[in-house]
Amino acid sequence: MATLTQQLDRASARYLGQVEMHDSNEDRLNRLKEGDFITARICRLDPSIDKAPYFETYRVPYVKWMRVLDVLIHISEGLCVEYAHRWYCGVKKCGTCAVRVNGRETLSCWEPAQPDMVIEPLRHLPVVRDLIVDREPYERKVMELGPLLMRTQPYPGLPEYITDREMRAASYAMDCINCMACYSACPVLDLGTETNFSGPAPLVQLAQVALDPRDGLDRLSLIEHTASISECVSCYRCEEVCPAEIPIVSRVIEPLKALAFAISPANKKHQAAFLEIVRDRGRIDPSALVLKTQGLRALLSPVRALRLWMKGKISPSKTFLGWTIPGVEQVRRLFSAVKGA
Amino acid sequence: MKTRTADVIIVGGGAAGTYTALCLKKAGIEPLILAKGLIGKSGASIFAGNLNLHGHVFGGNDAEAAAMRDYIVRWYNHYLIDQDYVLKGEQWTEEVYYPELEEAGLYFRRDDQGKIVTSYGLARCAAVNQQGQSGILLMDLRRKQVIQNGIQTLQETAVTSLVQNSRGEVIGVVALHCPSGEVFSVQAKRGVVIATGPADRLASRATGTREQSGDGLALTYRAGGELLNLEIQWWHASDFKWPPCWQRMHVYPNPLVGTAKTARMYNSDGEQFFDQSTDTPNSFAPYPTQLKRLAEQVAKGKAELNGKYFTGYDHIEPEALRKYARQLKAFEKVGLQAKTARVETATTWHYRQGGINTNPHTMETNVPGLYVAGPVGGHNNGSLGYTAFDAYTCAETIKNKPAPAGFSTLPQAVLEAERDRVMRLLRKMPANGTPPIAVKTKIREIMYEKMGFVKSKQGMESALDDMRRIREEDAPRMGLKNVSLNENLGWQDALDVYNLLDTCELTIRSALNRKESRGPFYRTDFPDTDNENWLVKNILFKGGDGSFQFRTEPYRLPYYQPDFKRQKYLEVLW
Repeated sequence: MATLTQQLDRASARYLGQVEMHDSNEDRLNRLKEGDFITARICRLDPSIDKAPYFETYRVPYVKWMRVLDVLIHISEGLCVEYAHRWYCGVKKCGTCAVRVNGRETLSCWEPAQPDMVIEPLRHLPVVRDLIVDREPYERKVMELGPLLMRTQPYPGLPEYITDREMRAASYAMDCINCMACYSACPVLDLGTETNFSGPAPLVQLAQVALDPRDGLDRLSLIEHTASISECVSCYRCEEVCPAEIPIVSRVIEPLKALAFAISPANKKHQAAFLEIVRDRGRIDPSALVLKTQGLRALLSPVRALRLWMKGKISPSKTFLGWTIPGVEQVRRLFSAVKGA
Repeated sequence: MKTRTADVIIVGGGAAGTYTALCLKKAGIEPLILAKGLIGKSGASIFAGNLNLHGHVFGGNDAEAAAMRDYIVRWYNHYLIDQDYVLKGEQWTEEVYYPELEEAGLYFRRDDQGKIVTSYGLARCAAVNQQGQSGILLMDLRRKQVIQNGIQTLQETAVTSLVQNSRGEVIGVVALHCPSGEVFSVQAKRGVVIATGPADRLASRATGTREQSGDGLALTYRAGGELLNLEIQWWHASDFKWPPCWQRMHVYPNPLVGTAKTARMYNSDGEQFFDQSTDTPNSFAPYPTQLKRLAEQVAKGKAELNGKYFTGYDHIEPEALRKYARQLKAFEKVGLQAKTARVETATTWHYRQGGINTNPHTMETNVPGLYVAGPVGGHNNGSLGYTAFDAYTCAETIKNKPAPAGFSTLPQAVLEAERDRVMRLLRKMPANGTPPIAVKTKIREIMYEKMGFVKSKQGMESALDDMRRIREEDAPRMGLKNVSLNENLGWQDALDVYNLLDTCELTIRSALNRKESRGPFYRTDFPDTDNENWLVKNILFKGGDGSFQFRTEPYRLPYYQPDFKRQKYLEVLW
C-alpha cells in the first residue's frame, strides 16, 4: 500500500480527494469479501408510464472483484428485473455504462462495487428509461465544435513526419471514451439554459484536434463562443470523475484557453481579473471578480446577490473597503517570481 | 406501418457499415445505416488494440509483408480463405486505407524521432495513439465522419427481417426502433448490406458486446442465403475470469508493441504451459496454439476451460512493462501489481472465422440484392484493414450496377405478417411465463458448456436437442412485466431469442458436418487436421423443403499450401 507521500506524488486532484476521504481504489477493494451481500438501491423511471422516478432495493451476492456493472447485470439478467441500463463492452472501451453511484459519476464496468450503493443516471441529460440517458445533446455539442482534423497544409503522404513529442498535447485528450461522466459532474452545466458552456467532454473531443499540430483551423470562435470556455470555473470535478484519468483542466481546458488567449488576448478578461484580485488581496473575492468581468450587468441580479450574501459567499462591504489577507505580501512576492503572472 | 426509403440499407454500424456508407455517399448513393447498438460504441471494432500493418506500409520490407500474409492465410484463417483476396486487400490497404486514415487525423504512434513504433517481429502492428486504443479512436473518427457527411443513421434499431420480392431479391427490411418502440419498414433501391461483424455473443462468456445475438446470420439464412464454416469459432484463451463483466478483458499474449516480451500461462499447479516466444514465435495471434496447450492441461486435470489456470507478465522486466502500462491498469484496478501477478483466466467465445458465403471479390451473396461487408462474411476472420477493403469493394459493386428506375413496393402481406410477429412478442407475462433474458442466458450457458473449445459429437447433439426444447417449450412462454414501447430492452430480448436459437442451431449443425479439427475448431471424435478432405468450404443452406442442406467447395491454393496432408490437430502449430 503506497504511503500518503507516495500517493501524493501521483498528484492528481482525483486521487488526492479519494485518499483523503479513505475512498481510494485500494480502500474500495477491501470493503467486500465473498459471502457478503451488497444493497443496491436503484433509480427507476419509465417516462411513458411513471410520473416521477422511484427507487427499488435489491440484495446482490458479492463475487470476486465485483464491479458496479456486475451488480446491475445481476439485477437485470440474473434476477430478470426489467431494468434498463446501457453497456456494451464491459471493459472501459465503449464508455456507455457511466452512472452515478452514491452521487458520484462512475464508469460501472471499471469501479468496484460497494456494500451500499444508490445508483442513478447521469445528470444534465434527458433520461430515456431507468439508467439510460439520451446522448444526443452531448453528441450535438461535440459536432458543433468541429471535431475533425482540418489540415490547411496539404497532406504530405504516408508517413508524414511527426514526433511523439509534438503529439503529446493532443494525445492526452485521445484517451477519452466519450463516457460523459465529466459532463454529468460539471457544476456549471447545472445552470442549464443560463449557460452556454459546452461542458468538459466536448472540449476534450475538440482538444484532440485543436491541440494537434497538424490542425490548421483558427478555432478561437469555437473555443470562446461556441464552447464558452471562460465559463469553466476550474473546479476539477471533471478530472475527479474521469475514468480514463485525463487531466481535463490542466491538459485540455487550460491549453485551450491559452490557445484562445494567444490568438486574442482580449478574451483573457476572466483569467486576468482572477489573477489580479488574488495578487491584490491574497485570495479571490467573488464579488470583485463578478464586478470586474461583468461590470454593471452584475447589479441586474440582486436576488442572487442577496442569497449569496446570506450564505456568506460574498461580503460587499469588505469588497469595497479593499480588504486583504494577512501575509498578502508573500502572495505578491510569489506573483513576481512566477514568469508571466 | 411507416415506410422509409434509402438507396442502400446497411445493417450494422461498425467499421464495415460506416465505411461502406462513406464510400457510397462519395459516389452519390444515399445509404441508411441501421445499427442495433450505438455507432462507435457497440460491436467488435472498438476492441482492436492495434492495427495490423499490411504490405510495405510504413516502410515495411518484403519479408515483413510476407509474414503478415502468412499470418492471415495460415494462422488466422487456417487456409480457409481466397488467397487472391488476401493479396488484393493487402495492396488496397497499403495504397488507400492507411494514407486515408492518417490524412483524416488518426495518429499512428511515433517515437520522439518521428519513427513509427511497431510490434517486435516480422508481422507488424502499430498503435493509434496508444496500444489498446486503436479501435476506439478509429470508430470515433468513423462516427464523426458519418455525421459530417450527412449520412442517415438510426441507432438502437434492430432489423427484424429482410424483405424480398417474388423473385427472391432483397428489396427492403423491417426494423424495430427500440427507443420509440416503432416497427417500420425501409425500401432499398439498390440493395441491402449485412455488416453485422464477426462476434456473436452466443455463449455466456463471449467477447461479443451486450446486444449481439447472431442477427446477421439468422436474417441471411432465413432469406435463403448460404452460410459457411460457422464452426471455425475463435476463442480467447487468456481473458480475466473475474470480475464477470471482464470476460472480455484480454491478457494479450502477443508481443508487446515495441518489445519482444509476451505473456505466459500456468496451470493450477503453477507449471508454465505456454510462452509464445518459445511455443509459436512466428504467430502474430497465437490463440489456437494457446487453446491447444490449454486443452492438454484440461485433459490432465490441471486446468478447466472455465478457469483454474493463470496468465501473467511477472517474468517481464518493469521497463518493458511500462510500455504496456495502459493495458496493465486492469491489474492495478483489482489490486494486483502486474510485475508480480498471475491472474486467473478462462476461455471466451471470440470471433467467428466463418459466416455468410460471400464472393470476396464483389461482396455478393447468392441472394440478389443482398451484399456483405466485413467479417460477418465467411471469407475472412475479423480484421479492420480487410473490413475496410470489403466495404470499398461492396460500394464499388453496388455503384457499378445500373440503378433501377424506382423503388419496388414491399409486399404488404409480408410486412403485416412481420409486424404481427414482432408485436406479438411485446406481451404481458403469462401464468407460467419466463422472462426473455432468462431464455437468452439459458441458451448461452448451454453453448458455453456443450459448444466450448473442446467439442464432441455427443455434446453437440445434446446441445442441438437443448435448442429444440428451448424453442418448443421456453420461447413460447416468454412475457414481460412492462409492455411499454419506450426503450423496451426486454422486448428486444424476446426478438433476439429467435435469432440466437437459429444461429446456435446452424453453428452446431455446421460443426457436426465438419469431420476434422482445424484452427480453433476442435472435436475429440475427429482429432486430426485433414487437408486432403476438409480444406473446403463447409456450406450450409436452406433446402426447398426448409431442411438443412450441406455442400462443400474446395479452396484454391495458388500461393500458399499446407505442408502436410493429415496431422494430429494438437500438434499442428496453427
